[in-house]
Amino acid sequence: MSTVALLTGALDGGGAASPADFMAARQQMAFTLGFHIVFASIGIGLPALTLLAEWRSLRTGDPVYAELARRWMKAAGVLFAVGAVSGTVLSFEMGTLWPGFMDTYGQVFGAAFALEGIAFFIEAIFMGVYLYGWDRLTPRAHFIVGVPIVVAGLMSATFVLTVNSWMNQPRGFKLVDGEVTDVDPLAAMFNPATPVQAAHLILASLMVCGFLVASVYAVGLLRDRRAGRDDRYNRLGFAIPFSLGAVCAPLQVLVGDFAVRFVADSQPAKFAAMEGIEHTRAGQPFKFAVFEIPNALSLMLRYDAHATLRGMDSVPAGERPPAEVVRVAFELMIVLGVLLLALAAWWGLAWYLRRRRAARAGLPWHPWFLRAAALSGAAAVIAMEAGWTVTEVGRQPWIVYGVMRTEEAVSPEPGLRFGLYVVLVVYAFLAFATVSVLRRMRHEYEPAVPDAPAPEPSPEKTGAAS
Amino acid sequence: MTHADVALGLILTGLSAYLLFGGADFGAGLWHLVSRRRRDQEVIEHAMGPLWEANHVWLIFVVVMTWTAFPPVFADVMSAHWVPLSLAVLGIVARGSTFVFAKADPDQRWYPWLFGVSSVLTPYCLGSVATVVATGGSSWLSAAGTYGGVLTTALCAYLAAVYLIWDARRLGDTTASLRFRGYALISGAAVGLLALPGAAALGVRSPLILLSAASGALSLALLIRRAYLSVRVTAGLAVASVLWGAADMAGLDLDAAAAHPAALDVVFVALGAGALILVPSLAWLYVLFQRGPGRPAGTAADTGR
Repeated sequence: MSTVALLTGALDGGGAASPADFMAARQQMAFTLGFHIVFASIGIGLPALTLLAEWRSLRTGDPVYAELARRWMKAAGVLFAVGAVSGTVLSFEMGTLWPGFMDTYGQVFGAAFALEGIAFFIEAIFMGVYLYGWDRLTPRAHFIVGVPIVVAGLMSATFVLTVNSWMNQPRGFKLVDGEVTDVDPLAAMFNPATPVQAAHLILASLMVCGFLVASVYAVGLLRDRRAGRDDRYNRLGFAIPFSLGAVCAPLQVLVGDFAVRFVADSQPAKFAAMEGIEHTRAGQPFKFAVFEIPNALSLMLRYDAHATLRGMDSVPAGERPPAEVVRVAFELMIVLGVLLLALAAWWGLAWYLRRRRAARAGLPWHPWFLRAAALSGAAAVIAMEAGWTVTEVGRQPWIVYGVMRTEEAVSPEPGLRFGLYVVLVVYAFLAFATVSVLRRMRHEYEPAVPDAPAPEPSPEKTGAAS
Repeated sequence: MTHADVALGLILTGLSAYLLFGGADFGAGLWHLVSRRRRDQEVIEHAMGPLWEANHVWLIFVVVMTWTAFPPVFADVMSAHWVPLSLAVLGIVARGSTFVFAKADPDQRWYPWLFGVSSVLTPYCLGSVATVVATGGSSWLSAAGTYGGVLTTALCAYLAAVYLIWDARRLGDTTASLRFRGYALISGAAVGLLALPGAAALGVRSPLILLSAASGALSLALLIRRAYLSVRVTAGLAVASVLWGAADMAGLDLDAAAAHPAALDVVFVALGAGALILVPSLAWLYVLFQRGPGRPAGTAADTGR
């Protein structure tokens, strides 16, 4: 076993990664993970949206719902595949980039990944049946086959999240002379950070998927307005996913608030970085961009204007995360989250007024609402990536908080940076191809509605033409 | 039986399944590249469509089981061979994405081409690493690594050709079926000629060689006699016994590298419970698309609507 040679090589100092390779490994992990979570989010949300449309189609026999379900299913097929293969990259990178991490702790969180593997297996099996079984199953059976995809998708996301939570709150093992003993995989999985992190990311992923899909239809609705059309297909295609995002947005604010409080208690350095606190003191001001409100942060966090909050100076110099990156990412996430919440409130208010007046015409199709909604998908993606940056960069310099530093985990193999360059090129092509394929799929299905303004079409007939 | 034995058994089972199912998908990609006939390509796309993602998960299973059960081995192998393994995983990315892209956007001509090339690259890289690990060699670029890469790719191609004979027939395409039979005979003979001297040169002394040779010869006979379903079993046995022979040769003594029993207990229980759902689901997936109403020839590319 050359493990011994590898380890002694590292101890000799001859096998340590160069700073350039170390940074490259971190950037590659951040980039591939940041890429994957977008597709993973869609992989959770889009099957749910598809099932919702399919269920409505079964209940009402409305062809517009059937058409939406069919298109979303096809898009989900493509995006799920990209998500699956980009997730495989991550499981390889665990070993090719972070062997020190895996060597020591692989067994502690391995059970969570084994469970994730089972969930992913179920997802892949039923995805195959769902995508290709349209003409081999009854409509009812086809709908039922879709349910395990959604359930397994949520479970798989939760299991993966238990591992990231564990990296923030390591539990379920003891370290004796650098060796792991007393392994308890369940204690590792159910670490204190798991509930809040899992809830936060699952809501984020539903928001990303909802707002992203809605963005596409918002553009279609704006086009309809200019052409003087009223296309029911675009309206429903917008309303279903946007409602999903709008329902999650206020919940996310509550969970996010809880997450901030949790971080403040469990990872003071990360919290100090997020809020830009340099010095420990009583009555911390709330700083945001250039604004500063005296005592407000202490008041918000501890309900006590004079509560003492730890600053970056309470953490040894070698254990501080890069504060500026974390703070900017945190503020970006908050701003975008609030904007999305405002948009969701506009939608909710319009929906409520519409019900009161029992009239279709109303606020939600206001052009400024649609313009904002067309940007909501991008906003949700950026907010999620920013939040991910907060939790990952804010944990530095630790890969396992307080236990293992990231540079202890990195592979000693020379040349990792060349791997990063190749990955960047391949992923650039992958992103480009995915977008072009999706654009083509949308184009192919452009509903065959005449360009001339239809004479006040009834909602039941429009959009069903294709 | 120790926990390490059970874990190794599970990993080898997973690897065998990956080779027999996922490997055949890579082989199908090779034939997709080699055969310029659209009909052959349609049979391949139709056969792989609903199954390739589930087949791919076996690899995830093997990776996760290895790092959970034998963390130092995983760390050692993955970092030492990070170049071919990174190429393999990028091949997996290219293969999977171009397969679905080509279906959604048939006008783009370089998707099928990339699909074929990455279907060859991936098993080559994985096979060369596996061989280097089994023989205790150093580099995937060594003679043993190159040999292992070529052999694995050839094994995948052979399996795919054998499976596709029946798939083509099921779709009512007798000529494509006969062509795949030809591919299977040629690649089967080539694999036999490649595997046996290689095993001798690498010093494999295992009864598994005899098993592999016997089932390989039987497969050729069954192909000639046109027993297209039973040949799937014997060809699978011939291929899988090569893998077991390699594992046997590696003579892995993993007890020292094994994880704590407590870590593995949870995994075993989870897998046992998961198998109760997974095994029937997988069986249903295969039966549904093997026995379901075969589409008339000519519309194979339209499945999934």
